[in-house]
Amino acid sequence: MNLDRLLKKVEKPARYIGGEVNSVLKDPKDVAVRFAFAFPDIYEIGMSYMGMQILYNILNSHEDIFCERVFAPANDMEEAMRKEGFPLFSLETKTPLADFDIIGFTLQYEMSFTTILNMLDLAGIPAKRADRLKSGRKWPLIVAGGPCAFAPEPLADFFDLFMVGDGEKLLPAICRLREENPDDRSEYLKLACKLPGVYIPEFYRPSYKEDGTVKEVKKLYSGAPDRVVRCFEKDIESLPFPEKPIVPFIETVHDRAVVETFRGCTRGCRFCQAGMIYRPVRERSPETILRYARKQLESTGHEELSLLSLSTSDYSQFEPLVTELQEYCAGKDISLSLPSLRLDSFSFKVLNEIQKTRKSGLTFAPEAGTQRLRDRINKNITEDDIFNSVEQAIRLGWKKIKLYFMIGLPGETEEDLDGIVDIARRIVDINYMVNGRAGGRFSVNVSVSNFVPKPHTPFEWEPQDTYDDFIEKHNYLRERLKKLKNVSFAYHDSPVSVIEAVIARGDRRVGALIYDAWQNGCKFDGWSEYFDMEKWEKAFVSSGVDKAFYAERRRNYNEILPWDIIDTGVSKIYLMTEDQLTVTTGDCRDACNSCGIIKYTDCPMMGCNAGEENQICRDM
Amino acid sequence: MPRYVITFSKKGFIKYTSHLDMIRLFKRAFNRSGIFLEYSEGFNPHPKMSFAQPLSLGYTASGELLEFDTKDVFDAGEIKIKMNSNMPGDIRILDCVQIEKDKKSLAAKCCAAEYRIIIPYCGELPDTVEKDFLAQDNIPVMKKAGKRKEEKEIDIRKMIRSFNITAKNNNIILSTILDAGSNSNLSPELLIRSFLDFAGIEADREDIEVHRSQIFM
Repeated sequence: MNLDRLLKKVEKPARYIGGEVNSVLKDPKDVAVRFAFAFPDIYEIGMSYMGMQILYNILNSHEDIFCERVFAPANDMEEAMRKEGFPLFSLETKTPLADFDIIGFTLQYEMSFTTILNMLDLAGIPAKRADRLKSGRKWPLIVAGGPCAFAPEPLADFFDLFMVGDGEKLLPAICRLREENPDDRSEYLKLACKLPGVYIPEFYRPSYKEDGTVKEVKKLYSGAPDRVVRCFEKDIESLPFPEKPIVPFIETVHDRAVVETFRGCTRGCRFCQAGMIYRPVRERSPETILRYARKQLESTGHEELSLLSLSTSDYSQFEPLVTELQEYCAGKDISLSLPSLRLDSFSFKVLNEIQKTRKSGLTFAPEAGTQRLRDRINKNITEDDIFNSVEQAIRLGWKKIKLYFMIGLPGETEEDLDGIVDIARRIVDINYMVNGRAGGRFSVNVSVSNFVPKPHTPFEWEPQDTYDDFIEKHNYLRERLKKLKNVSFAYHDSPVSVIEAVIARGDRRVGALIYDAWQNGCKFDGWSEYFDMEKWEKAFVSSGVDKAFYAERRRNYNEILPWDIIDTGVSKIYLMTEDQLTVTTGDCRDACNSCGIIKYTDCPMMGCNAGEENQICRDM
Repeated sequence: MPRYVITFSKKGFIKYTSHLDMIRLFKRAFNRSGIFLEYSEGFNPHPKMSFAQPLSLGYTASGELLEFDTKDVFDAGEIKIKMNSNMPGDIRILDCVQIEKDKKSLAAKCCAAEYRIIIPYCGELPDTVEKDFLAQDNIPVMKKAGKRKEEKEIDIRKMIRSFNITAKNNNIILSTILDAGSNSNLSPELLIRSFLDFAGIEADREDIEVHRSQIFM
């Protein structure tokens, strides 16, 4: 059975052909290590992820390492492959995955985990590590990195190795080590666990108390670290970044040149995992950003440029950078897209220019409906901020306002739900005020997601609302919002949020739940058309995993948490203090908040906006 | 603002890119080559660039035509060299010529296309099959047409301009010239289905290869 025949039967066959401009082709015979970078979703999603482009570029810059890509095949392709016994293959050389030295999955989202197991199975590789070891044959090392590697226990039974933190140097290092120890797996793992940020699950054995919480984690190899400290790259300015990113043939979600301006965030929103695990903020210089932008645009022919970070306008030289980028793009018919802007007067000036002809809509993320709750979650945005910006936007001609909120946040009451309705109502009123009673074409879109407590955040101990709570709150909001003219309401699927919470804060036993769910046919759980709660419910029963224990239980501050094995650099004391605060904590740039990160690395942001006298760091 | 026409070939896995993918691919290749295209006016400006005929997904080709207007004047040979160095290897620019501007687009001018269709077949075909197929007064096939995509019977006989069959290495090769233009257009897919039925050949569509070798003005 050849690939050509398969490709004639499926939709969008170009997902599987490789050979895109700037993709890399090497002769496998000339390299020492073959690495398959696996993204557990379809091509269009995976190719929009910059992290893959960064690491692909770095690995392939090493002459003796060949990094290829593989994505989850869509349903029709999977069916055709299974029917013909055609194993999952890499895009570059169409090599079956089982022939690689290392397969590295990126863990972006808990709901992609069943897809990982499915991809291994499609490759003919036993998903469980124990089954691979038992089989007696040599399999590729199955490794992972990405945000979910910060809480790796639910996947501990499947992977050989996890990489936690910045991967630019760590990933080539684990490949090198493989080159030096191609055959002796256990020796390899013993050496690998000495690398910063490497967690080898088989070197640790957790045991549990009668109440189900973790009793202790026993180390099975004395050379393994007691806690795995995340890998830090102090200076991202000097790290390589793609100058020639791959240009997909088919349209992907984000089909554009992208330059990362900085890593980390100083705002400290208490629900946000990215804001905690990527500290401290490390920036690239404007010159470097401009250089990468130019090179990428020249090497790809893209007609859109975007900046990547957790909060675009927090870049310390945002105004000069954007002014220069705008000038460059205007001369070349390139559109500049700036996500997650804070709406001050400069941003409005910029937005007004770049959205001159088509004002696509403005998005605000107040996250909570009242000041009290916004203070509790440390979302430092006031009602005045929102309404002033909205008024300015409407005056400048925007006709569509999108609002993001979360429900189920710790400390939420009915008042906070009413607050959401109130904000929507007041925005409609502002439009009447500006554009008269007729108001013209205008819409407010209220989008609500369900709060999922995440590991390594101040809310890691907090219970999640039950499924019924979420439904009730959705109904409450819908009833009230539908009475408002020009307001639409959208919300996330609640069962998905519950599963996400169970897995996000799961221990090693949750692996059985994921495995059983996959056996029941679950995959692409992040896609609403594939998510099937019934299959998950069956998996809860067969695996004995108790939903409420993981999702709805308030954890004790002195409980051993399954992800305590990973040290992000942010201290527990800081997280606990933040969890209990009902008032806001300032931005790290105004004064250091003593999160603990400076124990491991320098923080360039520490009180950088304050005068000298305030720059002294509070004691940890 | 001169106008040029490129002739190009498409082979290998890149045949699985669609017409829309090809538009994007050429646009970006022009950008990478520093050949900036003229844009149309209006609310949604788009580059002045168009293919003579869309090529179906899955077909290879060796005589595809693309016309475009550039902002600056280039030597046609230089365009060919620049574009070839910025194209994936399986797309090759075979020729580039500057043409006089004409109100009629390439798409409006083209009328027919030559195809080579390779069908795996180990059996014996009667010698007369080619003549018999063409001797039919009309060749009715069902075609999905109109907004509602309803099946409608059409006669494709008069849209077949030439048709011959050779057999080679367990394959039958159909070489044919079909109407391909805005007035009359015949998709090779319809011809394939009707010929297979006529000759009593059973072949899976995914085993058949279609190559477009030339487009006629």
